[in-house]
Amino acid sequence: MDSSQLLKGVLDLAVLAVLNDRDGYGYDVVRRLREAGLQEVGDASVYGTLRRLFRAGALTSYVVASDEGPHRKYYGLNDVGREMYAASAKTWAAFSATMAALLKEGQA
Amino acid sequence: MTPEQYAQAVRDALADHPEREELLEDLDDHLAEIAAESDLALEERLGPPEAYAEELASAYGERPQSAGKRRVDARAWAAKVRAALMRQAPSRSFLAFLPELRPGWWVLRGYVLAMVLVSVTAEPALVPMTPPAWVAVAAGIWASVWFGRRSRRRVVVLAAAAANGVAALTLFVGMVEAGDAMTPNPEQEQAVWMQPASSDGVYNLRPYAKDGKPLSDVYLYDQDGKPFVTNPEFYGYKVDRSCGEPVLNRYPLPLVEEEPMTGDDGLPTAAASACPTSTPEPGPMATATPERPDTKPRD
Repeated sequence: MDSSQLLKGVLDLAVLAVLNDRDGYGYDVVRRLREAGLQEVGDASVYGTLRRLFRAGALTSYVVASDEGPHRKYYGLNDVGREMYAASAKTWAAFSATMAALLKEGQA
Repeated sequence: MTPEQYAQAVRDALADHPEREELLEDLDDHLAEIAAESDLALEERLGPPEAYAEELASAYGERPQSAGKRRVDARAWAAKVRAALMRQAPSRSFLAFLPELRPGWWVLRGYVLAMVLVSVTAEPALVPMTPPAWVAVAAGIWASVWFGRRSRRRVVVLAAAAANGVAALTLFVGMVEAGDAMTPNPEQEQAVWMQPASSDGVYNLRPYAKDGKPLSDVYLYDQDGKPFVTNPEFYGYKVDRSCGEPVLNRYPLPLVEEEPMTGDDGLPTAAASACPTSTPEPGPMATATPERPDTKPRD
């Protein structure tokens, strides 16, 4: 099974989880997702997701000036984002538990 | 490809995206960050800009409905209305009853279309008056019913829709006209009594004495003693007020044309004003009294 198909459904949650850990700018979020093991995550997908969550009012953003590189726009969760994260995490936990149980039954 | 060029290519690829600016707000900074990270070209790390743009738009979500291209689907709308009606018990039973009216409509449709044919080819009429018209109506009803009972192919359905439209429109217009013919029109009756002697309408009166001498300053009143006045303004004239405020039921009225007649030199002609100047007894109407001394008489 192509895990990039699975990733599409949970990319919002993955991005929210990364930002719940600490604020980050676009490429930083991509890097942290890859470091966490989601190697196939697409840069454009993460960037598009960040912009959509921002439009939906789940994120705050602020620009940090940088001496050596370009300005960085940091994203962070606001109250709406934190609620969204909590609800999505709960849904995902229940879903993955169900899937795990289903797979265990199938193996037995 | 520099980050700027890559960003521009992405921008171009999303030219018709309704929220492009919002979506690509900090794309340049983002791409610059990636470019600073490694020496690899952006196309190699991110793929072609078009694919990047597509992935971006797909992750951003559905394009909003309001951004053009939304067509009003008449069929979907009709289905929605129908579904709403079916939820109500009274309208549900009414809709269920409608198909039972179909044979009646076929007969009426045949009759109306046959009468349209009769009215066009012979005398306009609402009911068949002559044996050929009876035959036409019978044939029309038979054809309409036969047509209605046929299998519903697409061509047949379209033709039926056209025939229904014509028949329904004719029926409506015919009923309105029939209703008009049956309702007495009070204005028409009144018009008989008010029939003016002149086809242009009456806006002034010229009384004459028994010996044929034209009378002036004749006051007219109706049977209730109310002043009898005309409406010269309606006919493009107005009462000449250059000699003071006239009495409106004193005939003949001193009238001038609403648009002042102008001579070749652009000045009002002397004939525009005619009113008694010194004597209380007015002179003949033909006597022109120039109000403006600088006015040249016309030749």
